[in-house]
Amino acid sequence: MQSLANITPLKPAARAGSIQINGVGQVFRTTGADVVALADVSMDIKPGRFVVLVGPSGCGKSTLLMMLAGLRQPTSGSILINGAPIGEPDPNRVGVVFQEASLFPWLTAEENVEFPLALRGVPKAERRGKAEEMLKLVGLEGFGKRHPHELSGGMKQRVSIARGLVQDPPVLLMDEPFAALDEQTRMTMGDELLRIWAATGKTVVFVTHSLTEAVYLADEVAVMSARPGRIVDHLQVQLARPRTYEMLSGDAFGTLRERIWRHIRKSA
Amino acid sequence: MAGRLGLILSRFAIIIAIFALWEFLSRTGLVNPRLLPSASDTLSTLGDLLQRASVRNDLMVTATEVAVAFAIAVPFGCLIGYLIAEYRYFADVVKPLLFFAFSIPKSIFLPMFILVFGVGFAEKVGFGFFSTIFIVIMSTTTAVESVRVEYLTVARSYGATPSQTAFRVYLPSMLPVLLEALRISMIFNLTGVMLAEMYASRDGIGHQIATWGENFQMKQLLAGVVMIAAIAILFNELIRSVETRCSHWRT
Repeated sequence: MQSLANITPLKPAARAGSIQINGVGQVFRTTGADVVALADVSMDIKPGRFVVLVGPSGCGKSTLLMMLAGLRQPTSGSILINGAPIGEPDPNRVGVVFQEASLFPWLTAEENVEFPLALRGVPKAERRGKAEEMLKLVGLEGFGKRHPHELSGGMKQRVSIARGLVQDPPVLLMDEPFAALDEQTRMTMGDELLRIWAATGKTVVFVTHSLTEAVYLADEVAVMSARPGRIVDHLQVQLARPRTYEMLSGDAFGTLRERIWRHIRKSA
Repeated sequence: MAGRLGLILSRFAIIIAIFALWEFLSRTGLVNPRLLPSASDTLSTLGDLLQRASVRNDLMVTATEVAVAFAIAVPFGCLIGYLIAEYRYFADVVKPLLFFAFSIPKSIFLPMFILVFGVGFAEKVGFGFFSTIFIVIMSTTTAVESVRVEYLTVARSYGATPSQTAFRVYLPSMLPVLLEALRISMIFNLTGVMLAEMYASRDGIGHQIATWGENFQMKQLLAGVVMIAAIAILFNELIRSVETRCSHWRT
């Protein structure tokens, strides 16, 4: 509770945002044979890094993200965030941005952003102030009173990001947040996300299908194989920041993109 | 806005036209006025009837029966509907049976209600309840199932307690479907109570309408029909006006 009073999202967070994934596995028990969704995944993510998980459909990247969010328990191995195990969903440590249409249509944009605070009984005035601050951060100042159906796809995902950040968690998890957007909006949202990330200093774990998006956004990319999902490559993206549209056609970009594609083609 | 006004005016014009046709057929004698008293006569009879203490009393009796039957059937049906939607095994067992029950015309059970409860308040409320409960159960199940899994995941990931999930996610998410369910349930409920009153009863507006019909009092009969129609439409529109406000999150 006390941490809510002094949220300063516009300054780089000095707080921890480290993630340790140690030999994590996930087995789905079905009526027939057990399905191994993830096998022995390990990763060490430093605070403030932008990490992208890519891989073919069904490689378990979303499953891994759900485990990081505490929404699903690993069947083996352990996950530490801020050095402590993540058992239940803990909004103080982790904010989640979901695939499209996860906003509540019966709430306005600002009420959606306030939702996590409302759950913990934060007083209305304080909530409203926080929501306004977050909407401003994501570039939606003045749109607080609109309902989701009055917003474009990109704007909705901005609201989702604001909701994910409103409790100032050191870690932001994003599950294919821009998958439903058109190409132009997707590029713009990528730039916007990088701006917000730079302003807040969060650790971001971002799941996507798009190789271009992966290389464009990431500090590091973890490439996963199809079932059973495991990390087959972990590459550092050394491109300068801020990233620019021109980089997309550069050699460095192409080499990285191709390296990821080779892995994915092999396992698909 | 002009388009919307135009629509309303057109609807109004149709209603006026129906009444005008009614008046015309009766006045010119194209339809025997003893079978079809004119619209103006019917409406003035309606005015007279509403002045009568006995008619007001009948209306009160019916309103009480309808309200009580509805007040029992809705929470009870909602609870069963919720259990069916939430518990897979229960649903697998009960759902086909519900469809069986729903398909039977409820009116054929009315004589049994009369035998069990006798002619009176309990019989009418009981039959009203019986006519309503199945549709409430089925619509509640639909309403619960209309809640998107994504919303529940969001609530969980932000640490919502079960009661917060119920009131902040389930309830608002279900609201559009639930309101429609209420509206349709009321139609079933009114039908049930009216039927019970017309079939065997000593009071209530349904009983009055049946009596007027048997005595060939066409003016009173038609006035009663107009009265019940107006009340039913009013209730329906009341709920519908709330419904349209939340229609944009209907799934």
